[in-house]
Amino acid sequence: MSTNGAPIVKAEEVEKYFGRNRVLCGVSLEVKRGEVVCIIGPSGSGKTTFLRCINHLERIDGGRIEVNGHLIGYRPGRNDELVEDSERNIAQQRTEIGFVFQRFNLWPHKTALQNIIEAPVRVRKTKPEEAVAQGEALLARVGLADKRNAYPGRLSGGQQQRVAIARALAMRPALMLFDEPTSALDPEMIGEVLEVMKELAAEGMTMVVVSHEMGFAREAADRIVMMDGGVIVEEAPPAQFFAAPAHERTKQFLSKIL
Amino acid sequence: MTAVHTLLAAVDWHLLKQRIFEPNHPFVTALIRTVYIAVVAQILGVAFGLASALMQMSRLRVLRFLSYLYVLLVRGTPLLVQIFFMYYGANLLLGFTLFPRTVNFGLFSLDGVIVAGIAALAINEGAYMSEIIRAGITSIDRGQMEAAKSVGMRYGLAMRRIVLPQAARVIVPPLGNEFNGMIKNTSLLAFIGVYEMFLDAEQGYSVTFKPVEYFFGVAFWYLVLTTIWTLVQVQIERKLGASERPEDEGWAQRILGLPTTAR
Repeated sequence: MSTNGAPIVKAEEVEKYFGRNRVLCGVSLEVKRGEVVCIIGPSGSGKTTFLRCINHLERIDGGRIEVNGHLIGYRPGRNDELVEDSERNIAQQRTEIGFVFQRFNLWPHKTALQNIIEAPVRVRKTKPEEAVAQGEALLARVGLADKRNAYPGRLSGGQQQRVAIARALAMRPALMLFDEPTSALDPEMIGEVLEVMKELAAEGMTMVVVSHEMGFAREAADRIVMMDGGVIVEEAPPAQFFAAPAHERTKQFLSKIL
Repeated sequence: MTAVHTLLAAVDWHLLKQRIFEPNHPFVTALIRTVYIAVVAQILGVAFGLASALMQMSRLRVLRFLSYLYVLLVRGTPLLVQIFFMYYGANLLLGFTLFPRTVNFGLFSLDGVIVAGIAALAINEGAYMSEIIRAGITSIDRGQMEAAKSVGMRYGLAMRRIVLPQAARVIVPPLGNEFNGMIKNTSLLAFIGVYEMFLDAEQGYSVTFKPVEYFFGVAFWYLVLTTIWTLVQVQIERKLGASERPEDEGWAQRILGLPTTAR
């Protein structure tokens, strides 16, 4: 877990409204290359929304987000205000950011391997043979080499989520975002997914993980970020965070879930 | 009893048999015309419907408005009126000849009236397909599109590769019913003078004054076409839903419209 140099994610004062409801009230966060950051907090605290803003699945109403030095989703327009970027540029930016969904969102009409090679072949224009070789390697890496031709409907939740991780990795992203990746899983399947994520972290992947898995946070994270009410309440390395939370709201939250 | 006797005696059995089992050359030509008009109009109708459905889901208000207007106008007026308007009105309204006497497509040419008829049927069909396709697309979980976007796919590619193939399963059954209707609706083109099956029958009747033989005969052939199509439709739906519906309803239930057995 080397953490060197420039931040790969740089979010400044991010604001987001759903209608009149202010869900993000100026969130600023920096994530360094190779760092693993866990975002925790009660439901409705805005953590998932913030994560979705990082690859522009949600538009933002204020502030700015940079990934790898690129402004995400927006470009400077006239009079210095930001205007939404072109679809082409947004799609291009997303190729650098892997996203793992709570409900997997595998494509049910494609096999595990087809799910993985779809974007490399269609977006990156990788040669199919090359993409297949890479896809098989990724399946092996998440422990599902034998499920190459299985459709998602025939896979367990844990297996589906591991395929989804492989699908995201196939684009060779510089950053991986995980939105509660184990929340939709039966308890006995959580471990296999966390294991894959831990290996990924150990290999030096930059990761932002929204999760309720305190074990994972304690073990794999470099930093824990606590969100509540659309703001970051507190952030600290796990040892310090769990042993001596500084903020009253963090103490309350931890007392409820630990 | 005598009434029934008189009625049956009035039927020219030889002619009826001929109309059903020994179709003459003009009738076969008319039948082929009916089929290609229906197929071409349906294909164009699906294309118009897809365009209209995507417009209706667009972020741009003007596109949404145009699509709503299209569906409102087409679904709110009779098809026969639309056919007449297209053939007799379009040239006048536009101030130039949209449908000349013959339209040359390079490899082949068609009577202008057929082109106008196909256009009217296709535009009409597009409005109905628009609703069907929109319902199909919105039935697919939003997460599917989001996952496609998250790996860098653009809207068009994601639609084509991810959303529409899944929506097809929802779209195809009503699409099949639409085509069934389309086969029958081609008969309306007789009123602007397209020589299709119904006009062939109508002309035979007007010369002989034998309505039973001619109209029963043509009805039989419509039934043949729609029945063939129903069989094809069952096969297509089987293929699309192969993994999800192991025990599909059989062809007999489909044709006779019997309720399916509980699964």
